[in-house]
Amino acid sequence: MLVNILFVEDEAKIANFVRAGLKEQGFVVDYCDNGDQGYLRALDNEYDVIVLDIMVPGKDGLSILKLLRRQGRNAPVILLTARNELDDRLEGLNLGADDYIAKPFFVEELAARIHAVVRRSVSERQNLLCVGPLKLDRITREVTCNHQAIELTSREFNLLEYLMRSPGRVFTRTQILEHVWGYDFNPNTNVVDVCIQRIRKKIDPIDQAVWIESIRGVGYRFRKPDPC
Amino acid sequence: MKLPSFRLRIALLSAALAGSTLVGFGAVSWFQIYNAKINRFDAELLNQLMRATPNLPPPGEPPVPTASLRREVLSKGSRPSRWQFYEDSLSYAFGTNTKTPIAILVLDTNGNILYQSNSLPADLEVNRLLLNRLQLTPLPPPPNRQPPPLPSNTNPSFEPPPFLRPRPPQFVTEQTPITAWRIGAANFPNVRVAIAVSLQVVNQEMATIRNIFLVSIPGALLLVAVGAWLVSGGALRPIRELTGVIQQVTVKGLDQRIPIGTTDVEFALLIQVFNQMLERLERSFTQASRFSGDAAHELKTPLTILQGELERTLQQVDPGSEVQQRLSNLLDEVRRLSGIMRKLLLLSLADAGKMSLYLVEVDMSELLMEMLEDVEMLAPHLSVQTDFTDGLRLLGDRDLLIQVLQNLFSNAIKYNLPNGWIQIRTHQTPTTLHVTIANASKDIPLSDLERIFDRFYRGDPARTRKIEGIGLGLSLAREIARAHHGDLTLDQTSFGQTAFTLTLPMKLQN
Repeated sequence: MLVNILFVEDEAKIANFVRAGLKEQGFVVDYCDNGDQGYLRALDNEYDVIVLDIMVPGKDGLSILKLLRRQGRNAPVILLTARNELDDRLEGLNLGADDYIAKPFFVEELAARIHAVVRRSVSERQNLLCVGPLKLDRITREVTCNHQAIELTSREFNLLEYLMRSPGRVFTRTQILEHVWGYDFNPNTNVVDVCIQRIRKKIDPIDQAVWIESIRGVGYRFRKPDPC
Repeated sequence: MKLPSFRLRIALLSAALAGSTLVGFGAVSWFQIYNAKINRFDAELLNQLMRATPNLPPPGEPPVPTASLRREVLSKGSRPSRWQFYEDSLSYAFGTNTKTPIAILVLDTNGNILYQSNSLPADLEVNRLLLNRLQLTPLPPPPNRQPPPLPSNTNPSFEPPPFLRPRPPQFVTEQTPITAWRIGAANFPNVRVAIAVSLQVVNQEMATIRNIFLVSIPGALLLVAVGAWLVSGGALRPIRELTGVIQQVTVKGLDQRIPIGTTDVEFALLIQVFNQMLERLERSFTQASRFSGDAAHELKTPLTILQGELERTLQQVDPGSEVQQRLSNLLDEVRRLSGIMRKLLLLSLADAGKMSLYLVEVDMSELLMEMLEDVEMLAPHLSVQTDFTDGLRLLGDRDLLIQVLQNLFSNAIKYNLPNGWIQIRTHQTPTTLHVTIANASKDIPLSDLERIFDRFYRGDPARTRKIEGIGLGLSLAREIARAHHGDLTLDQTSFGQTAFTLTLPMKLQN
């Protein structure tokens, strides 16, 4: 399924890598650099997700959100906040934003959030994630490997789900840490490595192949299964 | 230290001022009254002495015949009885109160006693005083005393001869053990008379006046003090109002202004100046607040670009290559930078009282379970004791509370002893939830206890290099707890352990 995204951001350099990153992840990105234009486009088209930077020329992100909701447009909105993080977040969420992400952010993280809000808004069965022998149900939080159930803790489940979403993509420890534990977790812990070891210990006895690969000095990736 | 009260000082000063005025006034008027009384007394005494001349009163004409029965001391013909009458008449002249003791001594020119009050032989002291007085009274008295000329003299040019009094007698007050006496004496050509009249009555009257003063002055002082207290209280009212407003002026209430309204002119200026100061403060504070917001925005944009480009480039190089490792390190540093910036921004928001919370129902038990999972992964060597029940729910900002817990747990791991322990306890009251996270540790030096919540402060400087992290976590954690109307405290009594208690209200009003 193609996910159509409207991305409103005035900073060209940010827009560049975000658009590139999202396209790599298979999203269709419609981009504009000011609020007035962004609002008109959001009215004219049906987007699956709208990503709004709060500080944009013309109508700011919060005004666009407010107007859209007043027009009865319920497309999921993710806010990009930079300025007064807490206030914007509070106001945005109260205005009916579906999620927010604070600058600076990882595009990977933004992609994850987009997937999450799309899943929530479209009642489509996208809960099942299958890569190689592993099957992961996002709702029941059950994981099977070769149809054999694996018991994972919540941290382990979140980590595995994060890696499995983009097989073949390299995740740094910091990225994983931020997604699974939150941005304020002490960045110098080895908690990611410990958690990966635990997941491996649970999967390896069932399937001999190494699915979670270490990238030395960088982090981890989930092996892309051979096309069959 | 007890500070002196301005109001009390004003009251006491007024009382002291009024007191000294009243005492001075009282003393002066007391002496004036005393002198007036003595003068009147002396005039009467003089008058009576004049009557003692042989011409007056005429012998054989007793002023009050009934008094003749009273005493006959010396039986020397008619003279003693004349002096007897004279003494009696004195008693009446001075004696509004007949108890007023009077003593007279009459000598002839040779110094023989002609008459003596019957009390005198007994009262040697008065007797001696009277004799003394007579000896001091100058001799000789005027030889001839003319009666005053009749005004019926027809010759207008005739100057009437001046009425020659005996040399004005000197009156003195002398003290005997029993009472004070006013003593006067006069020498006449044929007789010398000395009279002593007790000042008992005068003294009694003066004592009464003194007593009135003694009672009324403290009363007046009390009145003045109370009045000054009330007046100064009224005068200080604008100051109290000022204090009240200043108390409300926190960073949240910099927009407070004191109404000038009906204030007196003296205070209007003060209030005006204070309001101006508040205005400047508010302006610079909003500027600083906006500045930190703007600065954060300006910093975040390049950081976002840095991070995004690094993330993208990282995916484009060979996995595991040296370039990718370097990029990964760079990315870590960018994250660290943005982490510090984020904490600083949160702290500046907390300082401005603008830490707004997105309140949702938070399952504290669930959060604690997640943290325990991390502890197990991070520090499997530590023994963990837990004592909390499921379903500890409260309203709070989930993200911020997670931040607090993560900070406390990572501290508990960082500063633990080898093979130490971590203990998590919760205690719930109807209104609050207490979460205590304790760990084995070296004792925190007393000097550090108070500074542990300071920004960029980290206990032992020697440990700084070994244990990474910046000293903003605890400070921020406490600000977050306080933004929830709770608190974060360090248990200061326990030895061999560090215990932080997070207190949160169960029902938070937004």
